[in-house]
Amino acid sequence: MINSKKIVLVGHFGVGKTSIVRRYVSNIFTTDYKVTIGVHIFKKEIEVNNNKLTFVIWDLEGKDDIEKVRVSHLLGTSGFIYIVDPTRNTTYVNIESEVGYLKSNYPKAKLLTVANKVDLIDKEAFLKDVSFPIDFFTSAKTGDNVEEIFNKMGLIFLKDL
Amino acid sequence: MTDSEKLVKLKELLLSEDRDFALQILQKLESIESTLNEEQLLAQKVNPIINKKLDTFTEEIPSKLGPTITEALKIQIRDSQEKVVEALFPIIGKMVKKYIQQEMRNLSDNINSQVQNTFSVKKWKRKIKSLFTGISEENIILSEMVKPKVNQIFIIEKDSGLLIANVSKDEENIDKDMIAGMLTAIKAFVEDAFTKEEQSLELIQYELYNIYIQNLSSYYVAVVISGSFNSGFKEELEDKIFDFASKHKKEKLIENSKVINKLIESLFND
Repeated sequence: MINSKKIVLVGHFGVGKTSIVRRYVSNIFTTDYKVTIGVHIFKKEIEVNNNKLTFVIWDLEGKDDIEKVRVSHLLGTSGFIYIVDPTRNTTYVNIESEVGYLKSNYPKAKLLTVANKVDLIDKEAFLKDVSFPIDFFTSAKTGDNVEEIFNKMGLIFLKDL
Repeated sequence: MTDSEKLVKLKELLLSEDRDFALQILQKLESIESTLNEEQLLAQKVNPIINKKLDTFTEEIPSKLGPTITEALKIQIRDSQEKVVEALFPIIGKMVKKYIQQEMRNLSDNINSQVQNTFSVKKWKRKIKSLFTGISEENIILSEMVKPKVNQIFIIEKDSGLLIANVSKDEENIDKDMIAGMLTAIKAFVEDAFTKEEQSLELIQYELYNIYIQNLSSYYVAVVISGSFNSGFKEELEDKIFDFASKHKKEKLIENSKVINKLIESLFND
């Protein structure tokens, strides 16, 4: 029985998808921004409640509209991580409809919302501005809460096993 | 004391200091002159300075002169291509010749070892094949040498790109799950970008290897092949994969990947 799960990172460009996955998989962070073209694939094996899980993580290139993301990259996804940048309003202004699109088209997939770059913002002001619940506030730069997103995803998957 | 004696005394008083000073300068000049004229003395003084400068220069060559040399070489090659070709041709020619000679030697050794193996069953099979087909034994041996070989097989879930099963003849360093993911991403990209109708990526070629991809309903099979991949081998492979797929549905494969690994191994072993 294979316990491999496909996790897809989605969100606008520059929100820190690659930084989050690199921090999680390799525990590194760099300030030089290199735009992702197409997709990068990472792998991480974890243990949640004595269960071994393999995450194959698809870090997709950023798109300002979720409907522009290549459908073939989203198929077969077990868990989506929708990431926004709280310092740029345009990355979360449509969060409700974008998350809605993922939920209606991929109803079996789990979804977590993440606000990255939390080290750069006033959290209270951001919470007043955003119209959708955010599951995790992370900083790929400091590593805050990054691992927790994937652990939570692992726990959600385990419930279905 | 006479007037002349007084004058001498006065001169002595006035000029003695200047004279001493002039003498010192003269001595210093002589010392400098001897240093400059005698190679050994000059070398003692100058060599450390030159050495230090040379060391600094050597350290700075890549950063300071590198771009200039590269640019100069580019211009030189562009402006006098024929001369460059003339200069490089003998060197490259020799290298290619040597490589081909080595490969021919290896091929000849392989053929000899096959021919000399008189007790081999394969030899008799070859002889009979040669007799019936009219193709010389040497040609049959040559075709056997470049015969396609299956090196790796991946069974990958179609949508997610997750690896269901894998068999490899060689020890590979790259992670199989990531290969499966990347193959799926490449396949999806090519299919989205270049096909208008229901078509799919069938073959990826890289240097000495081919990756043959066979799509099935819920998973696909990617086979890494070395040697000469021809249509006959492709058909043979297709038949085997379809036969395999008809016996094993995806759900069964996922449930029992260890047994499946053994099955695939036996199916694709030559």
